Amino acid sequence: MSFFSLLVLLVFNFSFELGGAALHEIGPGVLWSAFVFACLLGLNRSFADERENHSLDALLMAPGDRGAIYLGKMTANLIFLLAVELICLPFFALFFNLSPGFFLLPLLGVLVLGSACLSAAGTLFAALSSTMRLRELLLPLLLLPVILPALISCVKATGLVLDNQFGTALYPYLKMLAVYAIVFVTLSLMLFEYAIEE
Amino acid sequence: MPDDGLVIENTSKLFASFAALQSVHLRIERGQFVLLAGANGAGKSTLLRLMAGISRPSSGRVLIDGKDPQRDATARSAIGFLSHHTLLYDDLSAEENLGFFARIYALKNPQQKIDEALKQVGLSSHRHRRLRTFSRGMRQRLALARATLHQPVILLLDEPFTGLDQPARTALSEQLCKLKQAGHTCIMVTHNLEEGAPLANRLVVLRKGCLCHDQAWEGSAADLSATCAPFWDGLR
Repeated sequence: MSFFSLLVLLVFNFSFELGGAALHEIGPGVLWSAFVFACLLGLNRSFADERENHSLDALLMAPGDRGAIYLGKMTANLIFLLAVELICLPFFALFFNLSPGFFLLPLLGVLVLGSACLSAAGTLFAALSSTMRLRELLLPLLLLPVILPALISCVKATGLVLDNQFGTALYPYLKMLAVYAIVFVTLSLMLFEYAIEE
Repeated sequence: MPDDGLVIENTSKLFASFAALQSVHLRIERGQFVLLAGANGAGKSTLLRLMAGISRPSSGRVLIDGKDPQRDATARSAIGFLSHHTLLYDDLSAEENLGFFARIYALKNPQQKIDEALKQVGLSSHRHRRLRTFSRGMRQRLALARATLHQPVILLLDEPFTGLDQPARTALSEQLCKLKQAGHTCIMVTHNLEEGAPLANRLVVLRKGCLCHDQAWEGSAADLSATCAPFWDGLR
């Protein structure tokens, strides 16, 4: 996932000759494109171990709330995605001639909220597509339209943070991301056991 | 009627327009060893998955001691399920696999129970080997250890003898016999009538998704084969 994200950043770097001027225009888009592609890779693998020997059946038979399976998978996906983002950020700063500053703190906030949105929706759709034959193809087709509102907010919020605008302009986007994550976690907890049914 | 045991009430299961099970009604009391027979595609595995709470009936309901395994977690803990698949993780060792399921079932003294389970299936010396390196027979033995680790009162067995060599089959038969004597309810799907006939005390036959025969059973594999023969044309 990290390697793929770095590759995306590198390709964009050479394609657009990124530098200080391009930072605010295409930087956020480049960054989130890399993260979304990495996230899709990770999500496609998130139920692979359970698929191999049908061990998801054993988890479904366990005497616990089935939502716990979703929460566990979502948390794992979130941790992996955040790790990828932390690895990629220094390279992003390098390619865009970005100096460390106060903006890093709100940027981390945007990354955490954005990643929570991607993981919350992504885990549900990964579960849904895990029993399908063309799962690698179907997951992006199903997921990308659904995460579009969150993705737009992520890009806008990241752009504002890189512009050092941390005030009222940023707040609606953060609120939007938080609401999206809460709604999707709640929805997924209700729908997960139907999503994994064959 | 008491709530004890496993009750399948007018249960049907549809996959799109295909009816894998049609209005199956079955009551299995505690301590019974049921042999579930039928041709390929008769709906045996589907019925076991409904009993295990893995799959949801399209209509009707499945109750374990009066509780729906889909909704009630305690009903699910009464079930052990041994399937064609091991339901284990290839990248974990035998001990790690059992440890994982011991944690899921919140077992007390998990290490002791894991040691006992591994000893029972003869895998104590292979406890640190990854499942990936196990033969088919060893995997099936570990799957049995997983299915019985939490000492379920109802054991669902879907072709448990598949891939086992003769000594392993004998060992599994002996173990199932012990479970039967201990009062566990067992429901077994098998085409291996030699192993299944001596264990069963009830025979249920499915044909094209319908329950077509149900009788108390005591007899040899040859008798069983003769009894089931008229229903063997139900391949879909």
